Amino acid sequence: MLLENCKLALSSIKANKMRSFLTMLGIIIGVAAVIAIMTVGNSMTKSVVQQLQSYGAKNIYVGISPMDWNAELSEADDEAMKFQPETIHKLVEKFPDQIEAVSVDSGAGSGEVRIDNSTAKVNINGVSAGYFVSNQIKLESGNYFTDYAYEKGTNTAIVSTKFAEKIFGAAYDASDVCGKEVEVNINDEYTTFTVVGIYKQKENEMSFGGYSGDQSTNMYIPLKTAWNMNHDDTIYSMEVVVKEGVDAVSFATEMQDYLTTLKASSLGEKFMVDCYSNQSMITESTNSMKSMTMAISLIAAIALIVGGIGVMNIMTVSITERTREIGTRKALGAQDSMIMLQFISEAIIICLIGGIIGIVVGLVIGHFGANAMGYEAQISISSIYISVLFSMAIGVFFGYSPAKHAAKMNPIDALRYE
Amino acid sequence: METFRNDILLHTEGITKSYYIGTPNELEILHGINLDVKKGEFVSIVGQSGSGKSTLMNILGILDRPTSGNYFLDGIDIGKAKNKELATLRNKHIGFVFQTYNLIARTSALKNVEMPMLYAGMSAGERRDKAMSLLEMVGMEERMKHTPDELSGGQKQRVAIARAMANDPDIILADEPTGALDSGTGRLVMDIFHRLHEEQNKTIVLITHSNELAGETPRIVTISDGNIIKEVINKEGVA
Ligand SMILES: Nc1ncnc2c1ncn2[C@@H]1O[C@H](COP(=O)(O)OP(=O)(O)OP(=O)(O)O)[C@@H](O)[C@H]1O
Ligand SMILES: [Mg+2]
Repeated sequence: MLLENCKLALSSIKANKMRSFLTMLGIIIGVAAVIAIMTVGNSMTKSVVQQLQSYGAKNIYVGISPMDWNAELSEADDEAMKFQPETIHKLVEKFPDQIEAVSVDSGAGSGEVRIDNSTAKVNINGVSAGYFVSNQIKLESGNYFTDYAYEKGTNTAIVSTKFAEKIFGAAYDASDVCGKEVEVNINDEYTTFTVVGIYKQKENEMSFGGYSGDQSTNMYIPLKTAWNMNHDDTIYSMEVVVKEGVDAVSFATEMQDYLTTLKASSLGEKFMVDCYSNQSMITESTNSMKSMTMAISLIAAIALIVGGIGVMNIMTVSITERTREIGTRKALGAQDSMIMLQFISEAIIICLIGGIIGIVVGLVIGHFGANAMGYEAQISISSIYISVLFSMAIGVFFGYSPAKHAAKMNPIDALRYE
Repeated sequence: METFRNDILLHTEGITKSYYIGTPNELEILHGINLDVKKGEFVSIVGQSGSGKSTLMNILGILDRPTSGNYFLDGIDIGKAKNKELATLRNKHIGFVFQTYNLIARTSALKNVEMPMLYAGMSAGERRDKAMSLLEMVGMEERMKHTPDELSGGQKQRVAIARAMANDPDIILADEPTGALDSGTGRLVMDIFHRLHEEQNKTIVLITHSNELAGETPRIVTISDGNIIKEVINKEGVA
């Protein structure tokens, strides 16, 4: 019976190809708009999440901030916003099972290295051992700084592969470079560092369009060395990397509570400890992008409703045209429910075909749209299911009342209709 | 209340039909029709145009309800039946043949004949076999795949008769089935009715304007201005 109805509906759609297509067009445009927007939105979200995750989803930023950003800060207040090295020690001792590493860094200016005719610009950054963990920096060759180097603040450095290429040539010998001394000119003051390691330059550390010749790369030196160079050993913030399996979001709160108690006296009423996990940032931005996509999709869905009204219009016309047919069917013994089913299936099939064409069109547009905006296209499977179901629902909803009208016709009036 | 003789298939008691009910210019078309049709009878109804023949036929075919009076089909009180039961009665007990054929457009002759069986819930294979043998019976086996717009008037009417026979109805109601056909084709259609009557003992009620065709039936009922004015048992008719 259902199959018969589908065949019947298809033959009536075929009999009025142009009209059926124009009716479908409303559904096609609506579904295509929703799918395209969902695809682009989904691609954007995925790409942003990936970007954020590359900064370390397991990292927690820890800092101290004033309760009131507009309040004037005195010299004494500046003290309150610093972390003491003992505080960090206590923190690590308190949470040995949760904390993988603590990253602290301190900029030591930028400079230039010149050997023979080769030059390379560098940003010099003093770092703690945890910095390499939190920023996922992997060495190409050589070693990380020794405990001794961290403790004493020796003039050792870890440079980028790009740096090595520029100074020692593209075909540099890594084992030869490690151990070499480089003289860095920082505002016309020369400091000599011994290269101990070469790290792999990450793609996203470079600007759009790739690495350009005279761009700076990071040169890492032990934190203590930078402090000595700056004559300043202030720690305003740090990044804590949590161990595998630790929930970064809830641990951030736990840590915040601990540090707040620990530093209660210096924080006073004016300051607070901020612990903010990358994970919660990822969640927040995912959520906000999702709701934005949803909002725009809903606007696009209005096109679907307009399309649905088109379907209703055509069904009404089609039923009026076929009044005598309905009368004949009733004379042959069709139950009201069968007439109803016949026209509802017709509406559903029109919407379903329109919906499927719309999905294909929407996916194509969404794919190219996402690519044009520089994202990898991510198809949202759920949006396809929803679209199929939604267009069928539109068929039922907007087909119902015309079909009901057809089913309720009086057989003799329908047969006599001119 | 009279008792039914179980060989009476159609039984009407004082059927009236009015239009514009409740308005000052109310129009009563039928003025109390009492008619019995026995099983296996072949009755023709004649009368002037506008006398109410089709109105009566539509009531007998339960496409329409009388304004007053009672109608029993095979002992079932139609006045008390629900819409759903009426649809089933039309489907199983009545076969219609219309003056204008009323075949479903864009649908093959075969599918048209299958339609009443589809509504009766018969399986696809069974429907097909039955429809094919019915089309063969009316000499339309060559044109099974043709749609109505590819058939002549007489061919359409033969398909329509095959369709009327689909669910082996007790009674065939035909409202001027030859009205739109030339006399030769009309003859062909009339012969099919005679065959159904004689070979399958079908009960047939036929409306016609042709005295010649009415003269072939064993019983002739004449209607004038909404009343039965004459009933003739026709010895000439093929009984
Ligand atoms: N729906 C209606 N509303 C008002 N009057 C109607 C309606 N249907 C039929 N009539 C009237 O009822 C009368 C009888 O009509 P009917 O169709 O039964 O005549 P008939 O005997 O079949 O005529 P013909 O031989 O021309 O087919 C006519 O006068 C017609 O105008
Ligand atoms: Mg008539």
